[in-house]
Amino acid sequence: MAAAGSVTVALHVAEVLETIVSGCLGPEGRQVLCTKPTGEVLLSRDGGRLLKALHLEHPVARVMVACVSSHLRKTGDGAKTFIIFLCHLLRGLREITDKEKDYFLFENIQTCGRHWKNCCQWKFISQALLTFQTQILDYIMDLYLSRHFLSIFSSCSKERTLCRSSLEMLLGAYFCGRVGRNNHNLISQLMCDYVFKCTACESRFEEVLEIVDDCFGELKVGVTGLPVSDSRIIAGLVLQRDFSVYCPADGDIRIAIVTETIQPLFSVSGSEFILNSEAQFQTSQLWITERTKAIVKHLQSQNVKLLLSTVKQPDLVIYCAGLNGISVVECLSHEELSLIQRVIGLAPFALPEASSQYELSHTALVKFCKPLILRSKRYVHLGLVSTCSFTPHCVILCGPVQGLIEQHEDALHGAFKMLRQVFKDLDLNYVTQTSDQNCTSGPRIYENSRENNELPKIVNSSIQRSYQDTVVKNKGELAKTQTNLKVCSNLIVPNVKLEKTVLCSAPKVAVTDSYQTEETLRCSSPNKGTIMDDHEPYIESNSANSTTENTRREISYENLQVTKLARKDSMLPLRYKSLEMCSSQSYYFSSIPAGCVLPVGGNFEILLHYYLLNYAKKCQQSEQTMVSRIIANALLGVPKILYKSKKGNYSFPQVYVRALQALQTNQPMISNQTGLESVAGKYQLLTSVLQCLTNILTVDLVIHIERQPQEIYDQDSEEEL
Amino acid sequence: MSRLEAKKPSICSREPLTGGRAGASLAALRGLVASCYGPAGRLKQLHNGRGGPVATTSRSAALLAGLPVSHPVLKVLTAAVRSHVACFSDAGLFTAILCCNLVENVQRLGLTPTTVIRLNKHLLSLCTRYLKSEVCACRIPVDFGSTQILLSLVRSILTSKPACMLIAKEIDHISTLILRAFLLTIPENAQEHVILGKSIIVPLKGQRVIDSAVLPGILIEVSEVQLKKILPIKKSDSFKVAVFCVSLSGDLSDTGEGTLLVSYGVSLENAALDQLFNLGKQLVSDHVDLVLCQKVIHPSLKQFLRTHQIIAVDRIGVSLMEPLSKVTGTRPIGSLGSISPSSYGTVKDLCIAKFGCKHFFHLIPNKTTVCSLLLCNRNDTAWDELKLTCQTALHALQLTVKEPYVLLGGGCTETHLVAYIRHKTRNEPESILRDERCSQTELQLVTEAFCSALESLAGSLEHDGGEVLTDGKYGHFWSVQANLPSAVNWPDLPSRCGCGLYSSQEELSWSFLRSARHPFPPQTCLSPEAKGSADTLTLDCFTAKLSGLQVAVETASLILDLSCVIEDTN
Repeated sequence: MAAAGSVTVALHVAEVLETIVSGCLGPEGRQVLCTKPTGEVLLSRDGGRLLKALHLEHPVARVMVACVSSHLRKTGDGAKTFIIFLCHLLRGLREITDKEKDYFLFENIQTCGRHWKNCCQWKFISQALLTFQTQILDYIMDLYLSRHFLSIFSSCSKERTLCRSSLEMLLGAYFCGRVGRNNHNLISQLMCDYVFKCTACESRFEEVLEIVDDCFGELKVGVTGLPVSDSRIIAGLVLQRDFSVYCPADGDIRIAIVTETIQPLFSVSGSEFILNSEAQFQTSQLWITERTKAIVKHLQSQNVKLLLSTVKQPDLVIYCAGLNGISVVECLSHEELSLIQRVIGLAPFALPEASSQYELSHTALVKFCKPLILRSKRYVHLGLVSTCSFTPHCVILCGPVQGLIEQHEDALHGAFKMLRQVFKDLDLNYVTQTSDQNCTSGPRIYENSRENNELPKIVNSSIQRSYQDTVVKNKGELAKTQTNLKVCSNLIVPNVKLEKTVLCSAPKVAVTDSYQTEETLRCSSPNKGTIMDDHEPYIESNSANSTTENTRREISYENLQVTKLARKDSMLPLRYKSLEMCSSQSYYFSSIPAGCVLPVGGNFEILLHYYLLNYAKKCQQSEQTMVSRIIANALLGVPKILYKSKKGNYSFPQVYVRALQALQTNQPMISNQTGLESVAGKYQLLTSVLQCLTNILTVDLVIHIERQPQEIYDQDSEEEL
Repeated sequence: MSRLEAKKPSICSREPLTGGRAGASLAALRGLVASCYGPAGRLKQLHNGRGGPVATTSRSAALLAGLPVSHPVLKVLTAAVRSHVACFSDAGLFTAILCCNLVENVQRLGLTPTTVIRLNKHLLSLCTRYLKSEVCACRIPVDFGSTQILLSLVRSILTSKPACMLIAKEIDHISTLILRAFLLTIPENAQEHVILGKSIIVPLKGQRVIDSAVLPGILIEVSEVQLKKILPIKKSDSFKVAVFCVSLSGDLSDTGEGTLLVSYGVSLENAALDQLFNLGKQLVSDHVDLVLCQKVIHPSLKQFLRTHQIIAVDRIGVSLMEPLSKVTGTRPIGSLGSISPSSYGTVKDLCIAKFGCKHFFHLIPNKTTVCSLLLCNRNDTAWDELKLTCQTALHALQLTVKEPYVLLGGGCTETHLVAYIRHKTRNEPESILRDERCSQTELQLVTEAFCSALESLAGSLEHDGGEVLTDGKYGHFWSVQANLPSAVNWPDLPSRCGCGLYSSQEELSWSFLRSARHPFPPQTCLSPEAKGSADTLTLDCFTAKLSGLQVAVETASLILDLSCVIEDTN
């Protein structure tokens, strides 16, 4: 069975998904109830979870869901926006085709033929989209959008310190879209308190976020049956089990961790214990008892008051521990153990081999250790003394139903993921070029250059054979230094070009070589906000040409125009069609600095929309103009939904017109929303959606296979081999 | 062949509340729970068509646990009520009815969920703030100097569970027992942190309810056969007790993962038995009088102990271990080797008691906070209900100790709250309108929906077709019999309000509960003479009811906020 993959089908699917997710988007969004086959109920506003719960069968839908989940793995946010944006893009594309339909109708071709033709066209568009994503987007982000960015850090000094009010705004906006409207204020306040309480040292909050994100499951306790307002944060770590034996202790409490039973066993696995007489049996039992007692005594002498065990300990151990005033907690999970080890840096207690020798074992200090009763269930409450920047605290989440608590847990966990992303730099790189002639669009360039592609190579080799060698050598080197392959690969080509423009001579071979390595090193070091011009070192080493090169660089700053280069293809020299003309290209490596935010309420979308339209006006190639326009218009889909319920002055057209006016007159945009959102997250979302769309567009036929490709055949063939 | 099947796609339905199906299921559930509410509530018989026990009950926990709920929205509701009951044991029906009423009333309004949810939250905070304030007239502070209020609370809980099948005299008896059992769990010399003890409910079915009793200490049931083996107990001031948590049956404990090779002729059983006898000898030399074991004691060891005048009782079970170590002051012994003398405990007295047809071994402690409540009822179903009701009452008493207030029961709190909210929103709407950005009409509509939900909750207490009235002074709940002779002027009939605080002598302007009338300011600040006047008030647990109110409104908001339901059909 085969079905034609087309935009219309994809649009239908996306529209269905859109109706579901648009209901929960933004601060006015509502909840969705998911029932599990086991009868449990789950409340959710998390787009990713909803899409998974639908168990979609349609192949295009499954592609979309897969794309969404891979995006979520990266960023932890934006599933709903993903679908809405994708839907609007598809809608935009279909409008284009509707317009062009007449053109197709003119040709009296059969349906099948038309379908293939269609597919060619889609492939074409998808190429253009890819080019847009890799080239234009970064360029616009860096050049135009960046001036609107705000920072979440309180000061512009080197030391990054978290600003409480901006963190509150960021989290407030996040939870508006994730939890019920009754509770988002409470939850975001809780989270904000949590972050600040856990951070011992203000400048090392990233480490804290990492630990919390990794071990969130062990840092929260859910309590059903209580109102949500009873949720709170308590200091220390709560283990979700009771003491096996509890001996109240105060003062200097030390803890030890064991990963095996303290009581020795008759035989370990793989060994044999031969009993020859009854007396032998009794003596060995006596020995076991004595040894267990000795170990527990030893622990007591080390002032250990609490024993944490990953396994179940025999009755004898519990009894001895109780006699010696040691509390015991058994059956700790590996996650709990690793969290405790991370916080206090304590290795498990190694049982001494011989009964006589006891080396000083690993113990650590805790502030308190007491039972905690929540809703008539008992927990172990530990006041760990942290050795890292994370001060352990636990979140107690209350709610009337388990499903609601799970929603809050997910939202909190997602928020930590999101925060981690916010505090990361995001690299942008793009190429600008100063050439007066109009660059042709991506796919065409590709075709053209393919025709020409033999030429530079020939020229290259004809000019100098030894040079070719260095390029090859450099390539080898680059393969070795894999740190920044993509960036470095860009550097090879301009060399070729420059050599030609200045008509290279023999001594330059050595020079370029050193320059290459130098560049590699520079690129691998993290760069932030710096513009690197690959011409520069070259000029330095080549004083003869410095003047000409300098002028070219100046031009490049004034007259910016982007070449359409797919980054992955830039290794190929054939990309450089107009070798003689595009002589002065500048490669920009910029980044969205960590902590960049914009006010919520579609600010990012409107800004990008505005600048993309501007760009489309300037750009002369029809394809890029078209793609930019489609994307610009699709971007407005999200704010349209956000402002749907607003009336009067706050309705979408009003907001939009005001924003555009402000932008045209270079005035700051006034937002009536309080709340911030991460720029990096939005940027990543945009690229993910474009990649997903490319994926969908390039498929021309969906083939349904009745059964899975069977593995048995593979095995058979292997056996035969 | 692999049994792996592709997952079926889920069913997704939008606006789950607008369809007729949801409305019908909600109405059915409300009808079900409302008919159980209160002392006059109707009982429900739960049974499985394929056999098994039949339960007659009016408890929300039992009802909702057994109810197969098909509509996903109702699943949220029942889950919320069940977790509330698991937490507070009380006010489950209250929560369920209020939640159903709220959803139904608001659904009829047709306002946007955002507005409704925001206003409902505001009204809820109005209620909770009033109930927690000093001026609240439906809250009574508990005077621990007398048992009156606590006894009324327990009696109200017992009365509201008709499935216990108790008559008035029995209710009095059981409520005194429960209160006594509770008081026995309070330690005498209380420090900063009071740790309450435990009352163990011991079943004694088939006896008269009047035969129920409370005994300090622990009752361990022994069979008649065992009883014959137990020696006559000698008189003494105190008895030395050893409590074992390991098995004394002589079986081989965990030998590890490797293999154990035993040579021919070597009997491990004998070796283990030798070890047990050594243990026995140590017990004898330590002058232990009583050996209790969680698991099994080897018959030979039992015999050995008996010859040395030591009483041995085995198969105690894990549930009794904790109170047992509390009563005797022992540390459960987990070793067969040498026993530390510090792990022995003592009891003041031992005796063998017979209640009904059962024999018990009674451990009387010196001074502890553990007691046994011997509970009798005629049949199994009624006993189960009574046991759960006793637990509810004990829990309610514990909660009352934590928060020393009780609320007026019998519907009076609800009607009083309604009067308060109506008055507040009519006379001081400015602050709400400013805070919540809504119109006056919206506020009035939502308030009316909220109030009528509370009113019909109070109205559900009346099951016999009677009329429900409310007065214009206190805003309390009054009910009158149905089918009145037409000659009688009905407002003269009710003698006492629902909670029993006020009598009808005063000049009160009565009106029907659900009739439209002018809002009035209900009298706040309970007068001190009113507190002392009535002996038998109907009271509710403050903590449970307050939390029930919050959970009901929160759950209703949650349900109203649903835009779509995804049902996994796998």
